[in-house]
Amino acid sequence: MKKTLSVLLALALALLPLLTFSASAEEDFGGVTLNVYNWGEYIDEQVLRDFEAKYNCRVNYKNYDSNESMYTNISGGDDPWDILVPSDYMIERLIKEDRLQPLDKSIVDNLDNLTDDVKNLSFDPDNTYSVPYLWQNVGIVFDTTKIDPATVEEKGWEIFLDPSLKGHAYMYDSSRDAFMIALKTLGFSANTDKEEEIQAAYNWLLEMNTAIKPSYVTDEMIDGMAEGFKWISLGYSGDIAYILSENEDMDFCAPKQGTNIAVDAMVIPKNAGNPKLANLFIRFVTDYDAALAISTATGYCSPNAQVMAELSGPGGEYEGNAAYLPRSGNDLDEIFHDNPSLAAKLSDLWLKVMASR
Amino acid sequence: MERKKPFWNFFTSGYLILVLLFIYLPILYVMVFSFNDSKSMVSFSGFSLRWYESMFSNRDMLDSIKNTVIIAVIATAVSTVIGTVAAIGLSKARRVIRNIILEINNLPVLNPDIVTAIGLMLLFLSLKIRRSAVTLTLAHISFCIPYVILSILPKLRQLDDNVAEAAMDLGATPWKALTRVILPQIYPAILSGALIAFSMSFDDFVISYFTAGMDVQNISMYVYSMKRFNPAVNALSAVIVIVVTMILILANLIPHLRDKKNKKEEPET
Repeated sequence: MKKTLSVLLALALALLPLLTFSASAEEDFGGVTLNVYNWGEYIDEQVLRDFEAKYNCRVNYKNYDSNESMYTNISGGDDPWDILVPSDYMIERLIKEDRLQPLDKSIVDNLDNLTDDVKNLSFDPDNTYSVPYLWQNVGIVFDTTKIDPATVEEKGWEIFLDPSLKGHAYMYDSSRDAFMIALKTLGFSANTDKEEEIQAAYNWLLEMNTAIKPSYVTDEMIDGMAEGFKWISLGYSGDIAYILSENEDMDFCAPKQGTNIAVDAMVIPKNAGNPKLANLFIRFVTDYDAALAISTATGYCSPNAQVMAELSGPGGEYEGNAAYLPRSGNDLDEIFHDNPSLAAKLSDLWLKVMASR
Repeated sequence: MERKKPFWNFFTSGYLILVLLFIYLPILYVMVFSFNDSKSMVSFSGFSLRWYESMFSNRDMLDSIKNTVIIAVIATAVSTVIGTVAAIGLSKARRVIRNIILEINNLPVLNPDIVTAIGLMLLFLSLKIRRSAVTLTLAHISFCIPYVILSILPKLRQLDDNVAEAAMDLGATPWKALTRVILPQIYPAILSGALIAFSMSFDDFVISYFTAGMDVQNISMYVYSMKRFNPAVNALSAVIVIVVTMILILANLIPHLRDKKNKKEEPET
């Protein structure tokens, strides 16, 4: 007993530093590891396997649940991530902080595949650092058997003040999204930092709170609306495309007052362990086959123009799905900018809105 | 003796049933919905094994499960040994020292996980240790130890101090006194400490998230970072529940069977 115990202990201690767990076991070609950090449930796994087969490497694929938690975790700087997929405003911050390296355009030579709507956006004007991965906008999903589509079309975000919806609405418990719709309804920019405009938006949210008494949720609205528990909700078009494919009573509207366009894009950190392979990965994902697989699996819109056309066109997976294609051409639609002090202020005010229920 | 009123009986057993339902209904729900053939979390549309299939074909998920189990086993083994030794030492220590150490021991238990997590992350960063499976395992060991000590100490207090001395008077070496006399008596407490450590390690998210680095991910990290719910998690939960139940049954049966065997042998000796 004593002997076995000590042998076991010694063994465990000796093995501890050697354990690489998931890594290295299948590296029989000595293929290197590409470290990819992406949102959870945001890919078709086959894409990773195809990339591994093509370049004889191994993809270490890990997930995060928000831009902020990703940022906290990489800011230690000890992990040589090769690919991150942050959203627009977070990319702006990473560029400002000099944490990213420029793409090698001799490898990533297929940006012509991308639709013009997602190219050269304000956070990275020449796509020096980033290539869009998936994109979407924020809109309203509603039950057509309960609410007339024409009313939603006509009122846009204003419909969240309609007392007849009391108890039948979901609202995102997110200061960013809630203030965006308030500011947009009032005709302001979603990125405003003018005190009186923010105050007006705060009052609008208080009014909305008493008018419709929404249930404040986050991703629970996806299944809630797919099951038809509520009549109306704020949501991301990618999630709503899924809701629409599950429940045909539901419809989508991108309000005329303008909305937020969100772009998640691939970037390569300065301290990436394998920049060349990272550039190859970006090219691979931007090409038709991988882009098609990813967009089909997730319901979020691909930035690849051909994939967009095919999935939303005749016979496509998302044919007739109003939420799949984000709207383009409305000058009121905006991308969020990085502004930490504004974000902190909005989240304080949002707490007050939540407390006033 | 006063006979209990039927109402009272009904009330106590009804209450018991309510408590049991409250604890076990969610687990049953998950298990039932792991066989759902649609993505829905609320309406059951038909029987299928598709989520089990999708679980076993998802490499990232399987890797996370493997990591979780390996880390939990190592963390449990190491923290149980350290915790047991520490508890035995503490039970013999002077009262002042024991109380001080116990307060220190209680601190990480009461401390919110996020503080421990960020603290460990900063520690590793400032020591320039790259976060990896090793730092993750070390973190798990460190937060498991206090639970083991807390579970074993009360049992040690019940022991008669003289038993170990008596054993040594009768010729046992200190090591023998420890392994043949003390350990068998506190064995149930060690086991329950180990089980607590195992489950703490198994489902930890916050500390793992900040101490793991990029080459390892456990199942909590995998599930927590999902943008949309994947019902394969139901299948996974069902498998975990069944495995844990089997382990518990075995843990309870084995001592029982051993007792029976010993009793049979007794008349011969």
